[in-house]
Amino acid sequence: MNTQTNHSQSAGNSSSNPGMIKIEETEVEEKVISKVKNTSPPDYEALRDLIRPHIESFDYFVDKGLETMLENIKPVEVIDPHNKNKLRISLENHTLLRPEQDRKALLPNECRQRKISYAGRFLVEICFQYNDTPAVSRRPLSFGQLPIMLKSKLCHLRDASPKKLISCGEESTEMGGYFILNGLERLVRLIILQKRNYPMSVVRNSFRERQEGYTDKAVTIRCVREDQSSVTVKLYYLQNGSARLGFWIDGREYLLPVGLVLKALINTNDKEIYKSLTCCNSKGNGAIGTQLVGERVKIILDEVSGSSFCSRNDCLHHIGEHFQPVMNGMENEKLSNVGEAVLRDYIFVHLKKNDDKFNLLIFMMQKLFALVDHTAAPDNTDALQNQEVLLPGHLITIYLKEKLQQWLYKVKKLIEDEIKKKGDISILSNQEYLIKIMGKASTKSISNAIENMLKTGRLVTLSGLDIQQRAGMSVQAERLNFLRFLSHFRAVHRGASFAGLRSTSVRKLLPESWGFLCPVHTPDGEPCGLLNHMTSTCRITSYYDAQGSLKIFANTIDHIKTELVSVGMVPSQPKLVQAGPPEVLNVLLDGCVIGSISSSIVEKAVADIRKQKLLAPKVIPADLEVGYVPLTMGGAYPGLYLFTSPSRFIRPVRNICINSEENLNNIELIGPFEQAYMEIRCADGGDGGRKDSFPATHEEIHPTAILSVVASLTPWSDHNQSPRNMYQCQMAKQTMAFSSQALQFRSDQKLYHLQVETIDLEDQSRKSDKVLSLFARSNLNKSSHSSIDSDGLPHVGQIIQPGEPYCSTYNTISSKTKQFWLKGSEPVVVDYVAVDGGNLKKPLQKVNVRFRRRRNPVIGDKFSSRHGQKGVCSQLWPDIDMPFSGVTGMRPDLIINPHAFPSRMTIAMLFESIAAKVGSLHGKFIDATPFDSSTKKSNGESSSQSSLLTDELGPMLASYGFQYHGSEVLYSGVLGKELKCEIFMGPVYYQRLRHMVSDKFQVRSTGPVDQVTRQPIKGRKYGGGIRFGEMERDAMLAHGAAYLLHDRLHTSSDHHIADVCSLCGSLLTSLSIQPKEKAVREIVGLPPARTSKKVTCKVCDTSRGMETVAMPYVFRYLAAELAAMNVKMNLRLSSSKGA
Amino acid sequence: MESTTSYQRFPKIKIREMKDDYLKFELHSTDTSVANALRRIMLAEVPTIAIDLVEIEANSSVLNDEFIAHRLGLIPLTSTRAMEMRFSRDCDACDGDGQCEYCSVEFHLSVRCDQDQTLDVTSADLISSDPSVMAVDVAARSTSSGYDASDNKGIIIVKLRRGQELRLRAIARKGIGKDHAKWSPAATVTFMYEPDIHINEDLMETLTLEDKKNWVESSPTKVFDIDPNTQHVVVVDAEAYTYDDEVIKKAEAMGKPGLVEIYAKEDSFIFTVESTGAVKASQLVLNAIEILKQKLDAVRLSEDTVEADDQFGELNAHMRGG
Repeated sequence: MNTQTNHSQSAGNSSSNPGMIKIEETEVEEKVISKVKNTSPPDYEALRDLIRPHIESFDYFVDKGLETMLENIKPVEVIDPHNKNKLRISLENHTLLRPEQDRKALLPNECRQRKISYAGRFLVEICFQYNDTPAVSRRPLSFGQLPIMLKSKLCHLRDASPKKLISCGEESTEMGGYFILNGLERLVRLIILQKRNYPMSVVRNSFRERQEGYTDKAVTIRCVREDQSSVTVKLYYLQNGSARLGFWIDGREYLLPVGLVLKALINTNDKEIYKSLTCCNSKGNGAIGTQLVGERVKIILDEVSGSSFCSRNDCLHHIGEHFQPVMNGMENEKLSNVGEAVLRDYIFVHLKKNDDKFNLLIFMMQKLFALVDHTAAPDNTDALQNQEVLLPGHLITIYLKEKLQQWLYKVKKLIEDEIKKKGDISILSNQEYLIKIMGKASTKSISNAIENMLKTGRLVTLSGLDIQQRAGMSVQAERLNFLRFLSHFRAVHRGASFAGLRSTSVRKLLPESWGFLCPVHTPDGEPCGLLNHMTSTCRITSYYDAQGSLKIFANTIDHIKTELVSVGMVPSQPKLVQAGPPEVLNVLLDGCVIGSISSSIVEKAVADIRKQKLLAPKVIPADLEVGYVPLTMGGAYPGLYLFTSPSRFIRPVRNICINSEENLNNIELIGPFEQAYMEIRCADGGDGGRKDSFPATHEEIHPTAILSVVASLTPWSDHNQSPRNMYQCQMAKQTMAFSSQALQFRSDQKLYHLQVETIDLEDQSRKSDKVLSLFARSNLNKSSHSSIDSDGLPHVGQIIQPGEPYCSTYNTISSKTKQFWLKGSEPVVVDYVAVDGGNLKKPLQKVNVRFRRRRNPVIGDKFSSRHGQKGVCSQLWPDIDMPFSGVTGMRPDLIINPHAFPSRMTIAMLFESIAAKVGSLHGKFIDATPFDSSTKKSNGESSSQSSLLTDELGPMLASYGFQYHGSEVLYSGVLGKELKCEIFMGPVYYQRLRHMVSDKFQVRSTGPVDQVTRQPIKGRKYGGGIRFGEMERDAMLAHGAAYLLHDRLHTSSDHHIADVCSLCGSLLTSLSIQPKEKAVREIVGLPPARTSKKVTCKVCDTSRGMETVAMPYVFRYLAAELAAMNVKMNLRLSSSKGA
Repeated sequence: MESTTSYQRFPKIKIREMKDDYLKFELHSTDTSVANALRRIMLAEVPTIAIDLVEIEANSSVLNDEFIAHRLGLIPLTSTRAMEMRFSRDCDACDGDGQCEYCSVEFHLSVRCDQDQTLDVTSADLISSDPSVMAVDVAARSTSSGYDASDNKGIIIVKLRRGQELRLRAIARKGIGKDHAKWSPAATVTFMYEPDIHINEDLMETLTLEDKKNWVESSPTKVFDIDPNTQHVVVVDAEAYTYDDEVIKKAEAMGKPGLVEIYAKEDSFIFTVESTGAVKASQLVLNAIEILKQKLDAVRLSEDTVEADDQFGELNAHMRGG
C-alpha cells in the first residue's frame, strides 16, 4: 500500500550493558491470574473480582437504582390561578441506551481515539396528570447522553471474550470499571463514609459551640434511603439532661426537642415514653442505665408538656408550622401534613414506619445516656468498624436525583412564569407547549452535569448530598503500568476534608482495618494514611448475590427475622415494654430495632446465625454482618447489630466452629464491624496470646490476606524494614513496564513501553485544531524540510529531529498554512497517524500523531529493586572494565554500594538475590511469599519456625559449586587482579522508574530574560535558569567567594551600565544623542570606528557630569517606579577610593 | 635508561580443549597485564561484521522499525573476512559513506506471512550479497554441541501473523565491541590464576577422619578428597578451586590455622573463551594476539613517543605525585 523508506540506525550507544534484568520473572498480571486456574482460555475472573465494586454499583444503577430514584423524586404541581386547574408533573419509566453513533454501536476504543465520551442516550417519560384524575399522559423526553461505565451492563464489551476484546482494540484482560470522557479514562474514587443506619456515639468539642447549653456528646446516625440518598441525624445531649434532634435541610441544621419528635411520631403517652427509656435502668451487673436516666426523661417530658403539646396532632402541627417555609411544594398543605412530611423526609429516612422510627429514637437516647454516664464508651469515627464506602453507581444516583429534582422545580417555575406572562391562555392543557417550555430548562444539562462531575471530580450541589467533600470525586485511571492502573480501583480515600486537617489521628493505622485495608500500601507524605488500598481479598457488598442476580431485600429481611425469632429473639412488634440491657440486648437489623434477645442466649444465637450464613440454600445472605457487641462495663454499647446493606467491606475467613464432616463450605464473609468482636486466629499454630475462655472461632485463610495486590508482590516483605515495603508500593506504580497490550490502539498523553533490550518511550502529542482550520489535501505545502507528506502529515516510521515540522494545516478562511514544530531536544519516530473524520457532515477536524521516543538508560535515570532501594544510575562502565568472575566469566550488569544495606535493612533483597541465583541454577521457581512460616502446610502442621531461609538455599548454592552465602571472587576488569573482598552477586529484579533525566535536566548559559527586570526567567519549559537563592548566596558569603557571588548575582544576571548625571544625581534623565553622519569615509576592511555616543542630561542640559555606572537593571527599574510615584532618587557618585 | 636488563619473556600457550566456539588454553610465562589485555581485546577490539544500517521498505509486524533494526544488529554474522575488511570511516573507495564492497555487505530480507500459523522470521531469512558473510548457522552449531535443534532455523527476529510483512535492506559493516556490543565476537572470555596448593601434612594428620571429611566438604567445589587407602587428604583438582577461602576459614574455625596454604601462580593463567560464532574461538585468540601486537607496534614505532616523553616528562612526574 504505502511503501515507506526510512533509515534507522540500530542502537548506537557505546558498549553498555543493555539489559539490566537477567532473571525471568512472572509478570504481575500472571501472578494475579495464576490464582484462578490454568485452563485455557484464561477468563481473568480473579482480576475482575478486584474491580467488581465499581461495576456492580453501576449495574445496580442501570438495573434498579434509576427506577427507585425516579420513584423517589417528588412530583411538582402547578396550579393555574385563573381556573384553578392543577397539573402534576412527574418522571417515570426511564430508558438508558447503549452508546451509539449514527445508529451504530460506539465502541470504547473509538471514543478514546476520537476524544469523545462513551455515553448512552438517557430518556425519561414526563407524566402529566390533571386535577388528580387517574388519567396520565406520558411523553418521552431526552436528557442527553449519560456516561456509561465500561464492562457494565450497558457496555458493548460486557460479555466479550478475550478474543472479541482484542478485535475491539482492547486488552484481552480489559476489566472496565471506568468511564471514557473526552477520550480520557476516569474512574470514581472510593470514599469512606460513615457506616449507614448505625447509631454512633460521638464526643466532639464542636458540638458545644452549637448553641448555649449543648455538651460535646451526641449520637449520630447516617440514614440511607432506598435510592442511596442519605440524611444524617444527630441527637445532641444538653447540659440540663435533655436532648435535641438535629437534621439538615438544604445546608442548614434544624434542631427539635426529642420529646416533641417522640410524641409526633406515634400516638403515645408520657408513661409509655418514660417506661421505654428507663427500662435499662437496673442494678444488675454491668448495668447500662443509672438513676439519672429517670430524671432526664422527666425533663424531656416536661419540656414538651410545658409547651402544652399533648396529642400527636399538636406536635405535628407545631413542626409543620415551623417547617412550612423550607418544605418545597407544601405551601398550601395542612400543617399536620407538613409535619408528617418532615418526619418522613428528614428523620430516620431509612425507616418507613413511624413505630420503627420511635423505637430507634428510644434506642439512640438510651445509647446517648449510656455515653453521658460513662457506662458505654464513644465509638471511634476514624475506625473502619464504623465506616463504609461510597460507590460510583450510588454517587451518580444521588447526584442525578438532585439534578432531576432541581430541573422539575425549575420547570414548575418556568410554567408559572409563563402563565403569569401570557394571561389566561390555558397553557396547562397544551402539552406540546409545555414540552417546549421544558426545553428552556435545558434537558441536556442533566447528563452534562453528570459528565462534568466525572470529568472534573467536582460536585455542584446546594444540599451537599450528605457528602463531606465537593471535589476530588474522580481520578484519571493512568495506565503507566498495570499495577498503577489496578491500584486506582483498589484505592479508598478517607475524604478530601481530612487532607487539610492538622490532626494526625485520622491517618493512624487502626487495628480495625486488619484484613480490609493494607497497612503497607499507602503513600508517604501528604496523603499518608488517608489514601489506603483494599487488601487483595477485600470486597464490597453489593445488591447482587454470588449468582449475579439482584437481591430481594424484603424477603431476606423476613427470613432473618424468622431465623432470629427461632433462636430466641423477642420481636418488637406487637409493641410491649421490655427490659433493656443488661438482661436483654436490642437487636438492630439495618438500623431498625426488630426486637431484643436475652443476653444469656445471645452467643448461641450468634453462632447459629453464622452457621446459617454458610448453608447452601441461601436463606440468610452470605454477606450478612452479625455484629454482636457483648456486654462490658464502660465498653462499646452492647447489642446485636445485623447489616445486609450494600457498600460494606467484607473479607473471607475460615469458620472453624463448623465441622468439616458436615461438608459445608466453611469460608465465611465477615465485615469490619463484627471483626472487632470476633476471635480470629492466625494459622501459625499459636494461640496468639488468647486465653482459654475465649477460644478462637475463626481462622485466617492466609497471612498475606492483610496485603494489597501491590504489596503482596514484594518478595519476602516480612524480612524488610517496614517503610521500605511502603516505598516499594509507591515505586512499583512508577515502573515502566508493559503498560498495554493494545498499544497500537491507544491514544494516551504519554505511555511507556519497556522492551527487553532497549527502552522505548511513547509520547503522544495531539493536534486538535479549532473549527476554522482544516487540512487541505490539494493545498500541499512543500516546506523546505520536505518531512511532511503532501497531505500535511508525516508518514509512519519517519524520524523527525527537534525543530522540524511534523504537521501542517491550512486555514481555508485566512488561506494561511501553519506548521507545527517538534519541541524538545530528542529526535522522535512517528509511530502512528490517524485522522478523525468525525461525523460525515463536518470536514476533517482532528489528527492524532503519535511519537515514539527511544530512551536508552543514561546517567541520571532512576532505577530501583523491589525493596525500596531506589537510586539513580551514576556511571555507565564499558563492559570490559566491569569485574568478572574467574570461574564463569560472568560480569555483573549493575553494581550497588553495600552501604545501601545496613541502614535500610532490606534483608529480603539479599534473600531475593540468593534465591534467584539458586532458582536460575536449578531451573525452578522459588516461593517468595511473605509470612510463609505462619501458614499451615498441607499436612496440617505449620512449618518449623527455626529453619532459616539461608539454611535452605545455602546448601543448594554450594551443590552448584558456589559459595554458601552467595558471595563470589571477582577480578578487576581493568587490571585483571583479584578483588580482595567478597562480592555478593546474584540476580535481582530491577525496575526502571519513569523519572528520567531527559525530562528533567535544566541548564542554560544564556537565554531568555524577563522583560521588566532583565533577569533570567524561571521555568525549564521556557529555557529559564535555576534560582541562585538566598541560601546559596549565604553559602557563597560564608566561603568568602565574593567574585563568584558577584558573577552569579550581577554579571550573569541583569548587569547593566547606566549613564548617570553626577550633577543632578539622576539616573533617568540621560539622553543619548546620535552622532552626526561621519564625513570621513570608512576604510573597507577595518572595523568601524567606535562611534563615541554622546550622552547629555536632559535636566542639566549638559553632558559635563555624565558618568557610566554598572548596576543591576532592576535598580533602574526601581528608580523608574519611584519616579512614577513622584519620588526622585538621587545618586551621589564617587570614585572607588571613597568620597 | 643505562642498565638495560632484559625483562623479555617468551609466553607459551598450551591448548587444552578446542571446539569451533569454545577454547580452553593455558597461558604461561607472562603476567597479569598481558593476560587481561588479551581478555579485553577479545571482548572489545577484535573486529567482526554486524548489521549497522537498516532501510525498512515495509514493516507491518508488531515490532517497530528501530527495534527490528536493533535486533538485526545483534545477530552474529560470520566474520572471517573482518580482519581484512576496511572500517567504513577509513574507506577511500566509497568516501566513507559505507556502502561499497570493501567496507560493507548488503543483506536483504523479504518475508510475508500468508498462512494461518505464526511465521517466524529468523536470521536464516537474511540473504547476503557476499557468501562469506552470512548469519551464523545456529542450527548447525547447536546440533554439533548436542542440542536437538531440528526445527531451529536461526535466531528469531520477529513473528508474523497472516498478512503481515517485513521487507528491508540492511548494510553490515565492520566494527569492534568497544563501539557497540553487537560487534563483540566473544560470548565469554575469562581467565583464572592457576592455584598452588600446599597441604601441611603434619598438621593434617592431627585431624580425625571425621574432621578431615568435614574439612574436605567445606569447599563448595571438589578440590580435595580423601584417599580411600591411605586416608590422606589429597588435591584432586586444584583448578576447581575458586579462591573462595572456604577451606582456609574452615581450618581456622577448626583451630588449625595453616592447615593449607594456597597461592595464585602469578605467571600462569587458564583461559576460557566462548565465541558467538562470528569467528572461531581459536581464530578469535589469534586475532586478539595480532591486534595486541599492532597496538604495541603503534606505541613502539611512534616517532613522537620519545619527543612526547621529553615534552610531558615534567607533567608525568607531576602526575605521579612528584
